[in-house]
Amino acid sequence: MKWKVLAAGIALGAAATAQAALTADQVKSFTLPNGMKFIVLESSSIPNANMYTFWKVGSRNEAPGTTGLSHFFEHMMFNGSRHYGPKMFDRTMEANGGSNNAYTNSDVTVYQDWFPASSLETIFKLESDRIANLSIDPKMVESERGVVLSERSTGLENSNIRMLMEDLNSVAYTAHPYSWPVIGVESDIKAWTQQDLNNYFRTYYAPNNAVAVIVGDVKADKVQAMAAKYFGSIPKRAMPPAVRTVEPEQKGERRLFVAKPSATSANLMVAYKAPQADHADHYALDVLQTLLTEGKTSRLYKALVEQQLATQVGADTTDGFDPGLLYLFAVAANGVEASRVEKALLAEIDKLVAEGVSEQELQKVKNRKLLNLYRAQETINGKAQQLGNYEVFFGGYKKMFDAASEYEKLKPADIQAVAAKYLKKSQRTIGVLAAKEE
Amino acid sequence: MMKKLFASAVALTLLAASAGAAEFRLPAYETAKLPNGLTVLLMERHEVPLIAVRAVVKAGAVNDGKQAGLANLTGDAILLGSEKHNKAYIDEAFDFRGATLAGGSSTEMSTVQANFAKTDTDTLLPLFAEIVQQPGFDAAELDKLRTRKVSGLKQAKESPRQVAGVYYRAMLFGDSAYGNPAGGTVNSLQALKQSDVKAFHQRYFRPDNAAIVVVGDFKASDMRRQIESLFGGWKAEGPAPQQADNGKVQNGKARVWLVNKPDAIETTFLIGGAGIARSDADYVPLQVLNTVLGGRFTSWLNDELRVNSGLTYGANSAFSPLSQTGTFAISSFTALPKTEAALDLALKTYNRLWDKGIDKATLDSAKAYVKGQYPPRFETSEQLAGLLGEMFALNFGREQIDNFMKDVDSLTPERARQLVDKHFPRKNLQMVLIGKAADIRQIAAKYGDVTELDITADGFQP
Repeated sequence: MKWKVLAAGIALGAAATAQAALTADQVKSFTLPNGMKFIVLESSSIPNANMYTFWKVGSRNEAPGTTGLSHFFEHMMFNGSRHYGPKMFDRTMEANGGSNNAYTNSDVTVYQDWFPASSLETIFKLESDRIANLSIDPKMVESERGVVLSERSTGLENSNIRMLMEDLNSVAYTAHPYSWPVIGVESDIKAWTQQDLNNYFRTYYAPNNAVAVIVGDVKADKVQAMAAKYFGSIPKRAMPPAVRTVEPEQKGERRLFVAKPSATSANLMVAYKAPQADHADHYALDVLQTLLTEGKTSRLYKALVEQQLATQVGADTTDGFDPGLLYLFAVAANGVEASRVEKALLAEIDKLVAEGVSEQELQKVKNRKLLNLYRAQETINGKAQQLGNYEVFFGGYKKMFDAASEYEKLKPADIQAVAAKYLKKSQRTIGVLAAKEE
Repeated sequence: MMKKLFASAVALTLLAASAGAAEFRLPAYETAKLPNGLTVLLMERHEVPLIAVRAVVKAGAVNDGKQAGLANLTGDAILLGSEKHNKAYIDEAFDFRGATLAGGSSTEMSTVQANFAKTDTDTLLPLFAEIVQQPGFDAAELDKLRTRKVSGLKQAKESPRQVAGVYYRAMLFGDSAYGNPAGGTVNSLQALKQSDVKAFHQRYFRPDNAAIVVVGDFKASDMRRQIESLFGGWKAEGPAPQQADNGKVQNGKARVWLVNKPDAIETTFLIGGAGIARSDADYVPLQVLNTVLGGRFTSWLNDELRVNSGLTYGANSAFSPLSQTGTFAISSFTALPKTEAALDLALKTYNRLWDKGIDKATLDSAKAYVKGQYPPRFETSEQLAGLLGEMFALNFGREQIDNFMKDVDSLTPERARQLVDKHFPRKNLQMVLIGKAADIRQIAAKYGDVTELDITADGFQP
């Protein structure tokens, strides 16, 4: 057959440059005298760069009365500093071709900037000014309260899983701050004072409590010089107080029910107590979660979705500094009672604990992990997020490069062992959201 | 919890190249046509050892006729196994290798896509070719899939954000093909039979109506040979499907569709009217203008509704182009008691396009923003495969991409004013509100002729 080429060689750009697989020695890192750490990776496949700044502050640093403050403060970080008044952070960044966002969870607050690499200096000016000189305008605080109340209600309006997870956390934890929602309790959102915000900024937004990751079409030595110029003069401060509360041991299964009149089918969530991110069992637990819920041949997909008991299954864990939860969830098929889905899900857990996994099944998950690693490393955002996560939660960004071998060395017995250790009845909380209780 | 929420469901994808602030060009690729009429697009990318492949077919909800959801069901049912290999075999083959396999269809195109390690090409590409050309459509598996999709349709109505756009399209296009709900309705899906799915596949999945796009870590000469051997024998039978008229936006008078969800705690809304076709010559400059109105965080809509007034967590606007025409909508949501304030402010802000126009500084900022945010949209092989697939299915060519820089840079305030007058719908605005009707019925009447719908009723029309 003749292959007729109609059009070829349209344009060769920087994107065609071949690259070897990412290695640890390509990553540069330095710490300024004030304790602020920077991680830089040169990556020229597109003419853009990003800056992800990880702050070690989240809802676990709050207390009743100030729940949701970390997240609210994240919003306030966009509302004015000495050289860039209200609105000017975003206006300046966007006029220079950049955009940004931020997220807060129970453990960290992360600010993300995406921009043409040529705008790096503007980004450094903006970021350093709000860290050194944030001004918290009471008028902005008032309008931002409405924004966050809307964010809270739209999440509850549009996501059953979110509503269920919020309530489940309040049952699974009796003492630890992971018990309240990251966005906060409604009454707390309405009650923060100016003093609360000022204190928060002073306590947590010290340069020595942050790690900045920059990935993209930049030169590491230039980034270092610019970091020293713009962030170097921000004074170091005392480290924030440690979180003292340790969640007491759970002594038995807990249950809850959430009523939502418009739910057309039940939502089920089963959450098991799990260790903190940097625990030795992390990789085995991650494999366990994957073989239960990821892909059409995963155990829960086959047992629940293929059997017509559920329309979807999923799992979640949060990388955290303190012991957390491994969540498994399912949305029941129309007309199927939550109790049937629960029974089938727990039967799969029991089977896993009793019989373990095969070499073949473990190899399947290892293959998936490797390909997902490539997929994440295909973008500058994936690389920045991974480097930052490993730096903050796993004892250093270099651990990212050990991940493939950590998965590779796992044996079937390791998976069965963590299943038996963590997937226990006494350590679980079961939640159901439905229109009516069964 | 995030600072910003920008709903992507109604967002316009940027499909053009940019330079200036940042040099960027579409990577080289080659286009070929096999004797059986199949279009083949190959682009080498060697960053990671992965390959993205997709079959793109010019068929979607507009081809459903009276059987809403047929294209969508067919697109998903492709994955249920081939004539030679059952579903379990296919699932295991892809899943074991860490590969992904997905199918689906939207308004005007159906796609089967896979992503796998280059070392697995010889195993997985033949299976991919089989399910595209000889799907099994096993009756028992199809029955399960349909039942699951029916549950999914009911569940979608629990979330106003998931269905607001479907109501909006149905309102704008009425009974014409563009008004078809792509996912179907509970009743229409339940009525679909295996023979319907087989007939749809037979009619539209044919080489002269399809393209195979491969992007990733391969050698083009090797990949050519493999594609030829796997797809060269695919035959087209009978006359090729013809393009039909899919309908126009109905905007003879201002209308409001009030969709009652009695337990809603907020009102979700869309406001707008007719937009543009994907191939419209003004597509690129309109993206710049929409950036000012509702396409970024500092846009007028987000600034007024969120930043200045705290009425919502996010407000935006977007053109949603189709191959023959398109729609435009402003969208946001607000707490139930603030419904009227948010709607009035959205409309007042929208009218600034005519009342005050866009000044040069604002326009320059939007131009820089659109250019700066462009390259990451085509960073991965998947993204590039998506672009090539859309160019094929929605009939737009390279010129839109090649002229992107020029079109953005040449936009002046005067030209902007002309484009606003020409393309943004100003009169007889159409509005969808999803919320608690008992509380907002009177408010709705301010904005046009009100039609009430119950969210639990079948489908997306009164």
